Amino acid sequence: MATSLDAAAPSTSERVRRRRPWIWFMLPFLVPFVLFYLVPIAYAIYQSLFKIERTGGIFGTTQQVFAGLSQYTAVFTDETFRQGVLRVLLFGVVQVPVMLGIALVTALLLDSAVARLKRFFRIAFFVPYGIPGVIAALMWAFLYSPQLSPIVALLDKIGTAPDFLGSNLILWSIANVTTWTYTGYNMLIIFAALQALPQEIFEASRIDGAGGIRTAFSIKIPLVLPALVLTTVFSIIGTLQLFTEPVVFQTISTNVTSGYTPNMQAYAVAASNNYSFSAALSVVLAVATFILSFGFLRLTQRRGEAL
Amino acid sequence: MTHPSSGADTAARTASPESGRHGRARFRGLRAASLLLAPVILVAACSSSGSGSSSDGSAAAGQTSAAACAPTGGKVSLQFWTWVPGMDAVVAKWNAANPDIQVTVKNTPAGNAGTYQNMFNSLKAGTAPDLGQVEYDTLSSFRLQNGLKDISGCPGVAQAKSTFVDWSWAQAQVGGPGVYAVPQDTGPMALFYRKDIFDANGIKVPATWDEYAAAAAKLKAKGIYITHFPQQDANWFNGLLWQSGAKLFETTGDSVKVSLTDPKAQQVATYWQKLIDDKLVATNLQGFSPDLYKAWNDGKVATWVSAAWGYSTIRDNAKATSGKWAVAPMPQWTAGEKAAGNWGGSTTAVLASSKHPAEAAKFALWLNSDQAALALANDKGGLYPANKDGLELPALTQGVPFYGNQKIFDTFKEASANVDTNFTWGPIMTDTNRFLSDGFTKALNGQGTLNEALQSAQTQTVSALKAQGISVAQ
Repeated sequence: MATSLDAAAPSTSERVRRRRPWIWFMLPFLVPFVLFYLVPIAYAIYQSLFKIERTGGIFGTTQQVFAGLSQYTAVFTDETFRQGVLRVLLFGVVQVPVMLGIALVTALLLDSAVARLKRFFRIAFFVPYGIPGVIAALMWAFLYSPQLSPIVALLDKIGTAPDFLGSNLILWSIANVTTWTYTGYNMLIIFAALQALPQEIFEASRIDGAGGIRTAFSIKIPLVLPALVLTTVFSIIGTLQLFTEPVVFQTISTNVTSGYTPNMQAYAVAASNNYSFSAALSVVLAVATFILSFGFLRLTQRRGEAL
Repeated sequence: MTHPSSGADTAARTASPESGRHGRARFRGLRAASLLLAPVILVAACSSSGSGSSSDGSAAAGQTSAAACAPTGGKVSLQFWTWVPGMDAVVAKWNAANPDIQVTVKNTPAGNAGTYQNMFNSLKAGTAPDLGQVEYDTLSSFRLQNGLKDISGCPGVAQAKSTFVDWSWAQAQVGGPGVYAVPQDTGPMALFYRKDIFDANGIKVPATWDEYAAAAAKLKAKGIYITHFPQQDANWFNGLLWQSGAKLFETTGDSVKVSLTDPKAQQVATYWQKLIDDKLVATNLQGFSPDLYKAWNDGKVATWVSAAWGYSTIRDNAKATSGKWAVAPMPQWTAGEKAAGNWGGSTTAVLASSKHPAEAAKFALWLNSDQAALALANDKGGLYPANKDGLELPALTQGVPFYGNQKIFDTFKEASANVDTNFTWGPIMTDTNRFLSDGFTKALNGQGTLNEALQSAQTQTVSALKAQGISVAQ
């Protein structure tokens, strides 16, 4: 290829040569990105525009026919989907602030001068994130189980144990698992941002007579706001994609339905060969995630400009 | 994908291989683990690749008439996907005796844990195995995707009909004149009960459902639940409906009639709803869960209406109760009757893309009729044969130590003969069962009733059928 180009047009080959390093460095990213990211998304969108038509009776031949946006109409009128979306939104509104609050406080504590054993705690908080989601969910499922959990048994002795897997509490039991898993990860991002702040500011604030708490509120938190925004966006995405924990809890609780979260519904529908509806569900979910995440980013940016 | 998932599964439920085979026990843990690895969009996109090409070779192959099925001759090698433990040992027996038809076994996760999906996908890609393990209620789903070969014209198939339990053969025909699979095992239902608890409290073994409810009240007074209501095991409930004589689905011409709210189904739902309302059944114990096993071991749950294969589920997971269980026929709606339901069981199906259907059918028939093969499958995989002669296996005529040496399989054999042969599955049972389970959740936590679960499954099944392009009769 290159030789024929050389022969034909030297100027072009020069340009190609200059461009080449860029291409070679990008390829390891671009090829998988296109193959495993863009193509499936494009295919999901394409797939969502069709529906199944059958000729020759129940066991006749099927055909995919173009159906416009009818699958999307079905998604938006689907009661299971509506409930699933409301459930994850409720989950996110409560769980994300709680988790990030804890992450921020622990990061500030670790960053403060009084903290001892910083390295140990930094790793200790991060460990839950290193445990595979399924394993973590299984472990918690046992801790919640009314029959097997030592904690429930203990609570039973001192009074009444809450039914962690009952219909009222299970969503918050799941929230507890995700909080346990991801707090350390988010803490680490905020902590890294804190560590990157120049020390002179703190010296100045100390000279001005600000104590630890005042410094935290007036200087540290405003300065790590970008990190908080980032972790919030990640958390919103994670919330909408809630899947592993509720699926694992299905094995032990009688309160998790097949469409408990939108992601679970998309999976269940795909498993019963209704790919178009599943694709439409997935696309709607992806768009909703995109809108929420970028909406939040825009919101915080605009506020930043106003300040 | 298989390794982390099976590990998670073992940790999740320590289920016996026998119960795992039936696709319920392993289903949830496996699904959790395997899907963690694949974002849903990717799953949807990958698995749908090629689903638009319904007119490809494999689909057309499913349409071929029954007539053409002659052995291709020469040396043939067949692929067989199954999740029955120990099936490789059975197949090794075949391979030793049949050098010209060599079968390779691929051990897969249970059907609903992803294997059916893999089969559907490989059918579309033209890389499907010749033979696959398919449960009775899923055969229709395979036919909907044109995934099964009609083997009625293959040598030996027509003659085999009378050697299998009647209903199992009827279901392998999937409503049509053709034959789409060879029945492998069945799950005739009976009542497992804690004889010691019943005796100690002076409770007679319930022969009718009324007596069962009365026994439930007596047990509850002692702090014992008569049974658990498993939210995920829709096919358990279907087994109860099967016994009641409910007609849930009917095919008329080119359309399907869905009658999940059939009066007999309503009767069953109302009955169990009353037990739930009166707090006589445990509503927080999931089927095949470690919680349930703990409750069994602790003597907090005293019966289980379950299938023949369930004997090993109790044996392996409630070890502390050895010698305390016994088996009686299923309680009846009308005193003196002997109706039984069925829960689970599967077939060996010849998939549409097989190039050697005659050889595949020959193997499937041997696998499920040969006494030595059945004995081995029963020993290693706990299969309760669909073959009538298989019911006379030595292992199935002896007393079982765990059950105080009661000859429990006599009860199951009688149940097997009394299973309604006319029961018909719907075309999309994966969906229907999912809708039922979702409705059970509401009934179990007091936000609905089982009758509403039937109603909602009815409505949702109808729209899911329409989504598959199937016309629904009113």
